[in-house]
Amino acid sequence: MKLTRLLSCLFLCITGISCIQEEAPNAEADILTCTVPADILRRDPIIENDKVTLMVKSDTDLSKQSPEFTLTPGATISPASGTTQNFSESQYYTVTSEDGKWKKRYEVSYIVTGIGTEYDFEKVKHAGSAGYDVFYETDHNGNIIMDWASGNPGFALTDMNAKRESFPTLSSADGYKGNCAMLITRSTGDFGSRLGMPIAAGNLFMGTFDILSAVTNALKATKFGMPFEYVPTYLTGYYKYKAGPEFSESGKVVSGRKDMFDIYAIFYETTEDVKMLDGTNKFSHPNLISIARIDNPKETDEWTQFYLPFKMQPGKTIDRDKLKAGKYNVAIVFSSSVEGDLFNGAIGSTLYIDEVELIHSVEE
Amino acid sequence: MKKQLIISVLGLLFLTTNSLLAQKDQNAGIINSYLVGLEYEVKAGLSIGGTSPLPLPKEIRSIDSYNPGLQIAIEGNVTKWLNPARTWGLMLALRLETKGMKTDARVKNYSMEIIGDAGERMKGFWTGQVKTKVSNSYLTVPVLAAWRVSPRWKLNLGPYVSYRMEGDFTGDVYDGYLRELDPTGNKVIFEDGKSAPYDFSKDLRRFQWGLQLGGEWKAFKHLNVYADLTWGINDIFKKNFDTITFAMYPIYLNMGFGYAF
Repeated sequence: MKLTRLLSCLFLCITGISCIQEEAPNAEADILTCTVPADILRRDPIIENDKVTLMVKSDTDLSKQSPEFTLTPGATISPASGTTQNFSESQYYTVTSEDGKWKKRYEVSYIVTGIGTEYDFEKVKHAGSAGYDVFYETDHNGNIIMDWASGNPGFALTDMNAKRESFPTLSSADGYKGNCAMLITRSTGDFGSRLGMPIAAGNLFMGTFDILSAVTNALKATKFGMPFEYVPTYLTGYYKYKAGPEFSESGKVVSGRKDMFDIYAIFYETTEDVKMLDGTNKFSHPNLISIARIDNPKETDEWTQFYLPFKMQPGKTIDRDKLKAGKYNVAIVFSSSVEGDLFNGAIGSTLYIDEVELIHSVEE
Repeated sequence: MKKQLIISVLGLLFLTTNSLLAQKDQNAGIINSYLVGLEYEVKAGLSIGGTSPLPLPKEIRSIDSYNPGLQIAIEGNVTKWLNPARTWGLMLALRLETKGMKTDARVKNYSMEIIGDAGERMKGFWTGQVKTKVSNSYLTVPVLAAWRVSPRWKLNLGPYVSYRMEGDFTGDVYDGYLRELDPTGNKVIFEDGKSAPYDFSKDLRRFQWGLQLGGEWKAFKHLNVYADLTWGINDIFKKNFDTITFAMYPIYLNMGFGYAF
């Protein structure tokens, strides 16, 4: 009798503790989408964790723009979505989470200038809690026109104690002229290997690194391409390279294989369905127009020039109107391990890159 | 550890049997003890329960699976009756026990930190599935007030202190996303079989205390059936451990048989 009473008491206790409470209000404060008139855009808005970049046509009147935002359910934004502001310079918006406890400040910029054609890797800003390096380009007035993407945000996840100098993509003072980009293949330690990503090649590319997919599908995380209104003909620049001592494939050492770097550029047409190419289809997508890729990479401790012609894919032509409308994308990509996207490479492989130029045909 | 425990259980049972066989010599001792109001008992049983926050925090949205596992307890105790009628007494016990479970829960905005083998740190807020495996073994000393309700029924209530000998608090997170550092940080999705394991075993506290409520029914002259509910009062984690933002308490029901001498 007492036993049954005890049991029912326990049962009550357990039901008491296993009551699922009412859901807490959202703590996140994200801009999910940004809408502006479609006819001013050269490419879809780039929405990052604390930044929205709108690449717009050069005749866009920046003084009166009213971007609209959708947010995490329940979150609020200030200034309000749709507020008209002067975007000649970046404007800042603060998103407050539904529970009111978290705020995130977004930089929203409109960029009318193209991505430029000369890249000297002198300008670096810092991001993330580690302050890892982000290379960026400016126009003649000093306005930022493009951030170079890299896998650094993904690497940051593998160790939040990591210091700036231990990231795969960073700035170095040993440039051909001034500073340069230094890409190093790194070990991703315990977490990286548990996730089946034992190394992180140093990489630097035009496009965006989609950290959302970094763990689930790393090849899709590297989204290549920025709008380019010219027909690229050559990619040139300088490099130095030293391969790491021990080559490994998916974490297993393979003797007799030597690591090599990769430098390439792709030029492709965008369509409604294909806005960006990524690591899965960078050389195989039918929208590709031309590819420039280094074909004689070698280990060298001297600055060595590369001069790579864009080779047209068979049967491809370029539509001048589409070109003017910004419907073609270009992406320059550097990696310290050619198979780094498959997690094959040698830890310590180091590629230096400097004074890169994207040469294009001159339009009349 | 479980193996060790099973061995100790078997060992104790063996000793008990031995002592039963060698009872003639000891009968005198037991009778003497009985005369001064002392009673001895050994008991063994299985436990079911949970190591859980109380009440369940808002972060936990659903509990999708629960497995109590095999949790055992083996105890020797002595009761000193304080009144001539032998209805009130004091009970002291020594118990070897395991407390554990496995759960799979869905959480929203759950604060977590994972430390890798080489000291790498991954910290943030997780929304998604969390699998947890708890397996702790304790040496426990309950000090209880005993009340004989009727000739066959005995109840006891009082505090206990536990010393954790072995501890395991591990699991992994999957099918969800992590916000780096805080809810406004970078968002990273884990799906398609990608998971991140965690191990908080090192952050478990050594000493625990709590309350125990028990009942015992005398089935035969020497054989008792019992049930003990133990309710942990302090957090199973160390004070300076703040990755899990809520305290977790071990709450277990132990049922089995006792042999009274």
